[in-house]
This record gives sequence, C-alpha cells and structure tokens, in this order.
Amino acid sequence: MKNEMLAMILAGGKGTRLGKLTQNIAKPAVPFGGRYRIIDFTLSNCVNSGIKNIGVVTQYQPLILNNHIGNGASWGLDRLDSGVTILQPYSNNEGSKWFEGTSHAIYQNIDYIDSMDPEYLLVLSGDHIYKMDYEDMLAKHTKSNAALSVAVIDVPWDEASRFGIMNTDENDRIIEFEEKPEKPKSNHASMGIYIFTWTRLRDVLLNSFKKDVDMYDFGKNVIPFYIKSGDNVQAYHFSGYWKDVGTIDSLWTTNMEFIDNEGDLNVRDKTWPIYSKNPIAPPQFITNTARVKNSMIVDGCFISGRIEHSILAANVQVKEGSVVKDSVVMTGASIGKNVIINRAIIGENAIIGDGAVIDGTDEIAVVGNSEVLGVTINEG
Amino acid sequence: MCAILGNEHEYNGLLPLTANRPLSTLYFDCKYRIMDFALSSAVNANIRTVYMILNEGRFKSVFDHLGGGREWGLDSIGSYQYLGFYQDILRKKAEGKPYFSDMIGFLKKSKSEYTVFFGNKMLCNVDLRSILDVHQASDSKITVVFKRVPKEKIAPDDCILTLEDDNRVKQTDIFSELDETADLYNLSMSIFLVKTDWLIDLLHKGQNAGVPASVQELLNREMTRTNTRAYEYTGYLSNIYDIKSYYDANMDMLDPEHFNTLLFSSQRVITRTKNEVATHFYDSSDVNSSQFATGCVIKGKVDRSLISRRTTIEEGARVKDSVIMSNAQIRRGAKLQYAILDKNVEVEAGVTIQGTPENPVVITKDSHIVADIYGGEN
Repeated sequence: MKNEMLAMILAGGKGTRLGKLTQNIAKPAVPFGGRYRIIDFTLSNCVNSGIKNIGVVTQYQPLILNNHIGNGASWGLDRLDSGVTILQPYSNNEGSKWFEGTSHAIYQNIDYIDSMDPEYLLVLSGDHIYKMDYEDMLAKHTKSNAALSVAVIDVPWDEASRFGIMNTDENDRIIEFEEKPEKPKSNHASMGIYIFTWTRLRDVLLNSFKKDVDMYDFGKNVIPFYIKSGDNVQAYHFSGYWKDVGTIDSLWTTNMEFIDNEGDLNVRDKTWPIYSKNPIAPPQFITNTARVKNSMIVDGCFISGRIEHSILAANVQVKEGSVVKDSVVMTGASIGKNVIINRAIIGENAIIGDGAVIDGTDEIAVVGNSEVLGVTINEG
Repeated sequence: MCAILGNEHEYNGLLPLTANRPLSTLYFDCKYRIMDFALSSAVNANIRTVYMILNEGRFKSVFDHLGGGREWGLDSIGSYQYLGFYQDILRKKAEGKPYFSDMIGFLKKSKSEYTVFFGNKMLCNVDLRSILDVHQASDSKITVVFKRVPKEKIAPDDCILTLEDDNRVKQTDIFSELDETADLYNLSMSIFLVKTDWLIDLLHKGQNAGVPASVQELLNREMTRTNTRAYEYTGYLSNIYDIKSYYDANMDMLDPEHFNTLLFSSQRVITRTKNEVATHFYDSSDVNSSQFATGCVIKGKVDRSLISRRTTIEEGARVKDSVIMSNAQIRRGAKLQYAILDKNVEVEAGVTIQGTPENPVVITKDSHIVADIYGGEN
C-alpha cells in the first residue's frame, strides 16, 4: 500500500555545543522540561499530524535514544498500520555506510524509504522544541505543486545572519538560499523541516552520488541544487513557538521559559499532546522540611530541600537544607544535604555530595550525566 | 505459577467509593489502584497468566486500568488474562451446573505447577518467590500468608489463624466470633499458594458437593481440613474494608518509612502509565508533607494530602489532611479538610468541606460542590 507521507527524523547529531550533556547520549535524547527528551516534540508532532510511519536515523551514541523510542508504543506507533523504525548505519558489499551529512543519511536509507513507498518525504531534525502541524504543510505543498517545501520562521533581523535564510518572491517561492549571510535580504530562517516529493528527491540523490556530485547536505547542496534546477521550491511560513536547544545557554533558557511561560508552548493542550516514554515511579513526596516555589516536578522525586524556579525530572532526590534555584535537574540525580545549586543543569543520575556549591552566576554550570561531585570518601 | 485475583467480596463500608468500581480498583496514593500490588507481586514472580473474578456491572474500571496489560508485561505472546464474573458462578451453582468449569479450564490451560490466589483488599507487597520456596520445602498442601496485627486493623469478617509452634494452621475463626482478646492477631491476608493440580481437584470435587462459590471462602474452609502452613509477612500491610481504613492507608504513605517500605522495596510496584506534564507549583503555592502525581497545577496551599493526576488547586484554596483523586478542580478560596474526593470533582470558590479523622467526608465521582459540607457527626 502506498504511504502518503513518511517522516524521517535525523537524530544522529552529536550536539557538540551541549558539552558534557551529550558525552554519552545523542542530542535529540537530551532531557527537557522534566518529562521529555527533545525528540518527543518532533515525534508527537508527527503522530498528531496523522503520520503513521517514522524512520529515526541514529548514529552518534544511540543507546539511550533507541531505548527511549523502543517500539514506539509511548507515541501509539505500535499499531497495525503504523510504526517507528530505528535506522542505524550498516555495512554491505560496497563498504560501510556512515552518514556523512543530512541528505547523505537519507541516501543511505533509500532501501527503507522505498519499502515504505511514500508519495512525500518529510525530513525533520529532532532537536527543536515546538509544536507544528505537518499535515497543514503537506496540504500547502501539494496545492502549490512543489517539489520541495521548506518551513521557515521569521527571526529578528539582527539574528538573521546566524541562520540559513530563504529569499522568496511574492508567491512564497524560494528563489535564493543563503547560508548564514552577512547581509541578509530577508528574515525567513529555515527550520530544517522539509517536505520532498519523493520520486524527485530519489532521482536527485541517486544521480548525484553516482556521478560523485557533492550532495551530502540539504542546506549546502540539495536546496541550492533544486533552486538551480528550476524546481518549484516553496516556503511554508510558521509563526508559533520554536526554540533551538543546541547550546547549554539555550537549553537552560528554554527550560526556564517552560516554567515562566508555559502558555507559549501550551503543553497541557489535550488536542496536541506531547507524548513521552513515562517511567513507572511512585508519586513525588514533598516533605515537611521542603519549600517549593515556581517549579515543575515529576514522579518519584523526594524533596526535603528548597526548590525555587527549577525543573526536577523523575526520581530526583533533594535532601534537607539544600537550595536548588534557577536550575534544571535531570532524571535520577541525587542532591545531598546543605547543597547550593544556582543557575545550573545537573545531568541524569549525577550525585552531588553534602555541602557542595554549584554556582552558575557567571556562566550556566553543568554537571554531567552520572558525574559525582563533592562526595568525600571517608578512608579512615 | 499462575495467579487468580479474587474480587468476590465487597464491603458496604466502602460505599460510595465502590458504587461503580470493584474494591480492587480503588485508587491509592495518587496513582495506584489496589490491584496493582497483587498484580505486581505476581508479575515480579514471573507470573504471566492471570485470572480475575469480578462482580457484574463493576468491570469498566478494570479494563480502563489494565488495558492490554502492557505496563505489566502481560501483553506479550504466552501471556493471557481471563475474566470471570462471580454472579455467573453463583448462577451456575443455583442452576446445578458445574460452576468452577471456567476456572478449571483456565488452570489447565495455564500449564503452571503452582497457583497463587489473592483476595482484593490487602494492600501489601509480597515476594511470592520466597513464599514458593517455603511451600516447596514443606509437605503442606496450602501455604497461607498472614501478618500479626492489632484489632483496629481487622474487619469483622476477617479470618484469624491459630497456629501450632511449627506454623501449621490449627484453627481458623471469623474475627467477630472470637471470644478471647489479644494484643495481636494472626490475620489471614487471603493469599494462598497451592499446587495447581490439587486446586483443580478441589474445585472439581467441590462443585459436585456444592461448596461455596467464592474461592476465597472455599480456601478459608479448606485450611483446617488440609495440611496448611502459614507464612508470616513482615512488610507494610493495610487492610481496606471501610472508608476509615481506606483513608488511613492513604495517609500512611505520608510517613516516609511506610512509603519507602511499600513502594521502594526490591519488589517493583507497577501501575498504568499516563502521559502527563510535570506538576507545576506556582509562586503562590505552599506545600508541605504531601504527595503529588503529575499533570497538576498548584497555586494554593496543600498540607498533609495526596493529590492525584491533573488536579488544579487555585489561589487561596487550602487542602489539608485530604485524599484527592484525579482531575479535581479546587477553586479559589475553597477549604478542604479530612475529605476524600473521588475523580473529576469540582469544588466551587469559597466552599468548605470539613470532615473528621474518624469520618472523612466522601465526595462522589463527577460531583460539582457549590455549598459547604460539614460531615463526620454520625
């Protein structure tokens, strides 16, 4: 049976700018908002948009990501007519197939895509926090008979030179693409979300790689090639909440915004739920020595300290006398007595010993996953 | 091993909470249902086949909770669950038909050497593997699990065991019929471990002889007729048979020791997972000695209470010593103390609901409370 649209989430990125936080996990698997991993937003958008089949391309440190996605049951993707497939690099007679760029990753998975036989291919990145209806984007794509649609968002002009900028004509047709232009001509930034008519992309990729034409990257190669070839490339304008969380600062800021302006993302909206793999954990326990203000906390937490303007993920323990302020504490972290944590991101399963001080006043402090800090081992 | 979860007996003292749901699906500690504990014990002991006896007209909540059994790992190949209705068994008995035939069919099909039976009201976290070890080492036909408890923790119709020195069951009595008093009683927890073949034989012969249609009653009776040994359980136990015992069991979880021994033991307690946002405590919130499930929005004051999923507590509202089931809306300035709110209750702004520790006020499911309620006088 022909599939209307297949989604491919490129989740192999290393996320170098997240430092310690991506030492042992892929960027899309980095936790967010106490309850989620970054990729949950993209996966949920797919499901809410009625997309039934999703390929997730992984490469860098895929263990936690693969475990998180599993058979897709958390997103309702384990049904008869739907599914999520994890695509990892593999080798064959032609050698190994490491993914060397965004479009190269699609090229290397042509067999999978062909087996799904889609009319359209939706390419996503899995490292942004946003809600978007891809079905609406597809409707516009088919209506305008485009070969490629690129989702764009208007960014402030003074930031435009940090993005891939799409210059459009009055009909939203993209006539020029500039990667990080010094003097931007428009502020329509590419969101890294593409809908391709599959037969055309398939031809482009097969022909180019056969002839050794550089076609490794969507932004650098594929989009310019389409424009040069006279293909109908359309811009799809998006105006909702959209955040890149690729740096420590942006990850921290976006988490803090999640507390302050929950409404911008409207995660409690039942018509567009954000799904995640939920742990089985007892309710959170706020004890009689705890003080909790302006914070978001989930199951399994045991809180005896002071929590101010922070996000605590599942099974976090904060002992008496400790203060956690303006911080993000990820799953399973254990914080001892009389600890002070200010403007920090504490990684999964980190252990912070009694009396430790983690102060990110000047620069957001980061404690890595499973890192042990300030625990003195008494050898006496 | 396979398991039978019996929910034959219901207590009027738990009404209205059990008006439309079996005792075994009563909510507990913000996110569990009572049956989770028996089911988790079974699954932790690698049991993959479960039979449930329910009462007619009260099974919606069971399906709602268990779904396909995914969380318990009961949805993989080789697992199957069966449901039987107690009224169906009673009806067949009245018609003179073989009333245990469904259950016997399940037991045969399960191909398991041992069967464990759980009653519906004992909240505990037992390790069936160690009970099985004890059972296998003895020559007894039945191993029954018991705990020594004071009289306040016993329902009038509970079964009390008198034991020999070697923990053999010598005598069984209904609690209300006991003459002498004691500090502690050997309360049968209605958990029985038997050989499957032996149980099939008992059910088979029993239905010809017209024995009680309740398996729990049948096994209670059999304890003094067959070589039965008692296994002492030392962990946390709550015996839930009326509103007060239900309320107390929930409040027990605010004691970190009870909470940790029941929910953080080596035996994992599994419940249905729901997709929820983190609970948001706003600047105006003031929370103390309380537990919360996810998806709540807390802007008011919460003290010594258990708050289930998706509850909203608005500014100026105060919830104290209360058990709030999921999806409650507590409006501005409402005041609750010693209250149990069933699911989907809305309490209007400024309304007071006041019970007593002995008689907490119960608000039924889907209620909209617009006027003050003072309870606990009865």
